[in-house]
Amino acid sequence: MSDAATDHADHGHPVHPTGIMRWLTTTNHKDIGTMYLWFALIMLFSAGTMALLIRAELFHPGLQLMRPDFFNQLTTMHGLIMIFGAIMPAFTGFANWQIPLMLGAPDMAFPRMNNWSFWLLPVAGVMLLGSFWLPGGAVAGGWTMYPPLFIQGGVSYDLTILAIHIMGLSSIMGSINIITTILNMRAPGLTLMKMPLFCWTWLITAYLLIATMPVLAGAVTMLLTDRNFGTHFFNAAGGGDPVMFQHIFWFFGHPEVYILILPAFGIVSQIIPTFARKPLFGYASMVYATASIAILSFIVWAHHMFAVGLPVAAQLFFMFSTMLIAVPTGVKVFNWVATMWKGSLTFETPMLFAIAFVCLFTIGGFSGLVLAMAPVDIQLQDTYYVVAHFHYVLVSGALFAIFAGIYFWLPKWTGHMYNETLGKIHFWFSVVGMNIVFFPMHFLGLAGMPRRIPDYALQFTQFNQIASVGAYIFGFSQLIFVAVVLKAIRGGAKAPDRVWEGAEGLEWTVPSPAPYHTFETAPVVK
Amino acid sequence: MADRGSLRAALAVFWGFFGVRKRREYEADAKDLTPAQIIVAGLLGALAFILTLLLVVYLVLKFAK
Repeated sequence: MSDAATDHADHGHPVHPTGIMRWLTTTNHKDIGTMYLWFALIMLFSAGTMALLIRAELFHPGLQLMRPDFFNQLTTMHGLIMIFGAIMPAFTGFANWQIPLMLGAPDMAFPRMNNWSFWLLPVAGVMLLGSFWLPGGAVAGGWTMYPPLFIQGGVSYDLTILAIHIMGLSSIMGSINIITTILNMRAPGLTLMKMPLFCWTWLITAYLLIATMPVLAGAVTMLLTDRNFGTHFFNAAGGGDPVMFQHIFWFFGHPEVYILILPAFGIVSQIIPTFARKPLFGYASMVYATASIAILSFIVWAHHMFAVGLPVAAQLFFMFSTMLIAVPTGVKVFNWVATMWKGSLTFETPMLFAIAFVCLFTIGGFSGLVLAMAPVDIQLQDTYYVVAHFHYVLVSGALFAIFAGIYFWLPKWTGHMYNETLGKIHFWFSVVGMNIVFFPMHFLGLAGMPRRIPDYALQFTQFNQIASVGAYIFGFSQLIFVAVVLKAIRGGAKAPDRVWEGAEGLEWTVPSPAPYHTFETAPVVK
Repeated sequence: MADRGSLRAALAVFWGFFGVRKRREYEADAKDLTPAQIIVAGLLGALAFILTLLLVVYLVLKFAK
């Protein structure tokens, strides 16, 4: 055994490997959080490039730039990579960085498993992106992986199924880590109902992940055996039922929607009180509302399937349950607005993104209510209205919350203030660009333009051109974001410990940048 | 007859589903109720919620022309 006195360089800790080995072997929650966030950024730009190619093709009716099959590959991979490669890892990155800091814990509960959770992701990411170069190209059957298309495709379909398994494994291990950390490693005195809301939303998200990821794994395993081992779970010709896949997939898929948005609720619930300089209005009801949303998310799945021929009784059940899930969501929006009410508001970039989140996510929520009505949904199924709806939820919802969170905690992570002017320019280009892309899609959908097609009828041209211009504004403005982040990493005004005047919580009691090891002695919360 | 604890847990879960709880009552819940009571009441609440929806669906279909 080595001598502790020679092995311990500073503060009694072992010497760390440097260079690439630091990142490959790290068990430090801050390093792992950083890697999650960089991975998410790379995936965001990969899938964003696919979105820009899609919008370039759709600038004009007719086929301009690509074969229809390649267009289908782009739409499929855009969805899969944005969901599993960008949004989910970004939130896990936040969890890794912030949960120990917010709880006063020295690290995550299982640091080595944490390392493995992350390093599985690049493997899956390479498998997904690399499948473009395989015979037959990448998967092209839609991110929902419906049979029969997903039973019929080439080798990239098997690779995608494996990638989904790997990403699911990573999510489950990450969730076990988060749940154990939150339940066992809180600072003395930090009871569950005193925890920052971000920790609460992640705790509930982690339970959702553990409950639903095995369901997705089961569904794709059945696809795999249908493809390779002669089973007929979903093959009608062999007595199987393709609609059963949809039930299983959406039993995972709808909680997944909340997996993608609950951590966003948590981030926004940290930011709004800080810049309103008031405590969060109705903290306990926010916790209850989050738990309610999580439970209800398991009984609404078939609203994605109104058009498959469900019995009327089932349509009514899922219609009612879907409408009722808007109640706790509405409570949250009300609480954010009430927190801002009569607050001493200032509008730094994190707050701008948080306010945009509240306004624009609500638009996505309302269009969701429209789609919840079975007779309306049957008209709008597979149209651009649905595309508009979920991009309002996932871009101005999840992605804007990620931007808000990055701007909010970047000074704590890097020790430098970011450039506020550039941040605001990024915000305005993003918010204007995003609305130019996605708002016209409501009109396109109402007029009957189907989604996932490379060509369209002439009457849809103008709105498509507007959307494409917006997409390029939105897409290229993200380079400003990268510039802001890189500038803050390289230097800038020194960030104080408590970066924001109204910030509350343990993470603001440690220096900026947060030292490599924090809370080796647990703080006491009164 | 349900004891006071069960009733309180059921009420807490009902307001939890709705997403709203008065601070005074929440503090009393936190003092008096155990996590096990809340979880059991939550599961029963979810079941009751589903059964209520099914009843509504049944009634709508029964009386629809």
